[in-house]
Amino acid sequence: MPQAILSGIKRGDVVLELRGITKRFPGVLANDQIDFTMRAGEIHAILGENGAGKSTLMNILFGLLQPDEGEIYVGGQKVTFRSPLDAIEMGIGMVHQNRKLVLAHSVIENIVLGHPRAGKILNLTQARAEIEALCRRYGFAVDLDAKVWQLAEGEKQLVEILKSLYRGAKILILDEPTSALAPPETKKLLASIEAMSQDELAIVPFITHKLPIVLATSHRVTVLRQGRVTARLETVHSTEQSLAKEMVGREVIFRLDRVAVARGEPVLQVQNLSARSDRGFMAVKGASFTVHEGEIFGIAGVSGNGQQELAEALTGLRKVEEGKVLLKGEEITHAPARRRWQRGLGYIPSERNTVGSIADFSLIDTVLMNYYFDHDYTPRGLVDYARVRQLTEDLIAEYGVATPGAEVKARNLSGGNLQKMILARVLSRKPRLLIANLPTQGLDVGAIEFVQNKLIAAKRDKAAVLLISEDLDEVLSLSDWVAPMYEGELMGILPGEGALREHVGVLMAGGAKGEEATP
Amino acid sequence: MWEFATRSLEASTIFTFAALGELIGQRSGILNVGVEGAMLFGATLGFIAAQLTGSYLIGLLVGLAIGALLGLLHGFFSITLGGDQVVSGMGIWIVGFGLTTYIGNPYTGPLGMARIPNVFGLSPFVYLGILLVLATWFLFSKTSLGLRIRSVGENPAVAEVSGIDVARTRYFSVILGGMLMGLAGAIYGLSYNPVWNYNFLMGWGFIALALVFFSMWNPWLLLGGAILFGAMWQLSLSPELVLPGFLSRYLWRTVPFVITLLVLFAMSSKWFRGRWGAAKPAALGEPYIKG
Repeated sequence: MPQAILSGIKRGDVVLELRGITKRFPGVLANDQIDFTMRAGEIHAILGENGAGKSTLMNILFGLLQPDEGEIYVGGQKVTFRSPLDAIEMGIGMVHQNRKLVLAHSVIENIVLGHPRAGKILNLTQARAEIEALCRRYGFAVDLDAKVWQLAEGEKQLVEILKSLYRGAKILILDEPTSALAPPETKKLLASIEAMSQDELAIVPFITHKLPIVLATSHRVTVLRQGRVTARLETVHSTEQSLAKEMVGREVIFRLDRVAVARGEPVLQVQNLSARSDRGFMAVKGASFTVHEGEIFGIAGVSGNGQQELAEALTGLRKVEEGKVLLKGEEITHAPARRRWQRGLGYIPSERNTVGSIADFSLIDTVLMNYYFDHDYTPRGLVDYARVRQLTEDLIAEYGVATPGAEVKARNLSGGNLQKMILARVLSRKPRLLIANLPTQGLDVGAIEFVQNKLIAAKRDKAAVLLISEDLDEVLSLSDWVAPMYEGELMGILPGEGALREHVGVLMAGGAKGEEATP
Repeated sequence: MWEFATRSLEASTIFTFAALGELIGQRSGILNVGVEGAMLFGATLGFIAAQLTGSYLIGLLVGLAIGALLGLLHGFFSITLGGDQVVSGMGIWIVGFGLTTYIGNPYTGPLGMARIPNVFGLSPFVYLGILLVLATWFLFSKTSLGLRIRSVGENPAVAEVSGIDVARTRYFSVILGGMLMGLAGAIYGLSYNPVWNYNFLMGWGFIALALVFFSMWNPWLLLGGAILFGAMWQLSLSPELVLPGFLSRYLWRTVPFVITLLVLFAMSSKWFRGRWGAAKPAALGEPYIKG
């Protein structure tokens, strides 16, 4: 039994060691000579931006990728992982960010799936007893008989953790463990992680930003940048600033210049707007606000508090249950999406790969998606491809989209470049109202700066900008007005200039009552 | 009336065999719309084999074997090659239709063997069918293999990460399913309607296919549906028995399909999904390509 390698480990023993791990992809050196050591009972965070090589390293650790060079040692023995199964058998457990669970099955079925100890005829009684013991030990609350599709995001994560623990994992890899969690859930998870590390488990959280989390839990931090380890720090000796600097490679507190633009006419007026989520409950509850020409109105909130539904209701993609929406004084509450586009709305959706673009469309067709109703480009219902191509090429040049040409399919662009293309397409129509939903999510620092500057430019052009973001710093530095959103309600509308980060953060979590209000 | 009941239960049994075969395959994510083809093969080759050897057992085994072979073929196309499962299934049906017409033509006519004796007044296959339903239910709700098959049909990527060989599990299911379809055909040609004729199956495979959707992938509901559909079919042979002058037999034969359509409508409603989740295996019909 290979798992025996880690069976007798004591606190502080080296359980995992990576030596000189190198992985190349065509044109990219994803991991460059990475050394890394994990000890039993240690929480050792790996920190890095998108594209720093975190996912590659994680996939190598879990046997999904094989390194080109370098060695992996588990409990002092050299090992090779050909598949995740090899890694699981060595005592490595992985909690994926994109949950790897069978939605239609019950929690307990998911946990025992593929486990040799489950028996030919499923012995669920014994498994249940063991899993319940784990739950009690680490303070996990989850109904073992519920179907996974009924669970909240945080509970699904617990199921993945339980699955790894039940399989006997001694080293637990957590991919962005707090990204989908509300503050109270985060707090609980951190307590559980702490408890697991007390039991000699080695825990490796991989984290993109959320630096306070790193500081709160980990013992040590390894920072990756461009595929290399740039720093190994004891957490007690680091600060948010120092970690960010190591991650990005320069001082990060880049202040965006707030541009003063004279406030103009109201462009978007939202009165008492309510809309339902896909699952049928009220996701937006009576939101009222106004966005004027030449200002950025920021909505800040943790994902899943109704921002998505709000954006869809305003753009005509979701039915409005109650209330009114006015665009430049004209009521558009129930107007179809195209009518809104023609009246000067521009929308940058959060799902750039599925709603913002069609993967198999060329960039020309991607641009055309906002021009097909424009008779200058489609005279008499025929597409003037020469003209659209010219426009696309101009936009590619103007926005610096890195692509071999306009014929390239959308799927072949990196996230940042695709976002630039979508931004170019939307802004080229000179929208009077720009709704930007998580416009910088998942982009690297360069692309983030680019997008943010474009939003400021739109404001300077006297557009009204509605910015929806989960990144509080982004909202605070860009917006003229900040509205924290919690469980479908706007918790207030504050002037952006001088708004306190802590104050907005508390409102985003439901005010003072937030801690107890959510289960 | 007893005659009607025994005949309709035997029809139900044949639907049950074929539909359970389809259900097992679908639970692993493989849709086989060629049930009719596999049954035609099983019925025709089983019929010929039994007539040549004078043995029912050999006839049934031949049906089982040809079903397994067709399952393997369908598996190769849809698992190994990652092809479109509907295209492959339609292929099996068309080939089955054409080839069995050609092969069976010289054997047109009755089987010419003593009928398979009834057990307690019913065809022995009825009991076998009920056992099979029980076994399938047990497989899917109580065994590790069943859980593996279901996972592969719901989310093969998750199954893979949990250390399950997706291709092997799917091959197993689709071959086992094919065997049941071939056997169902053989029972039809040897016991229910032992007179070979051009296209003598008359769309039973499609009823079995509809039955799987009707059953919402639950073997017990499938059994219930099979009994219902069997009675419908039997009625369609002599509709004047219950409702004289009302509806022709051809309209009666559409009833199982109408019922299935209604069930499908209900299943796709928001209410149903909110309450019960999606009953359909999430990865049904999707080839799994590693990586």
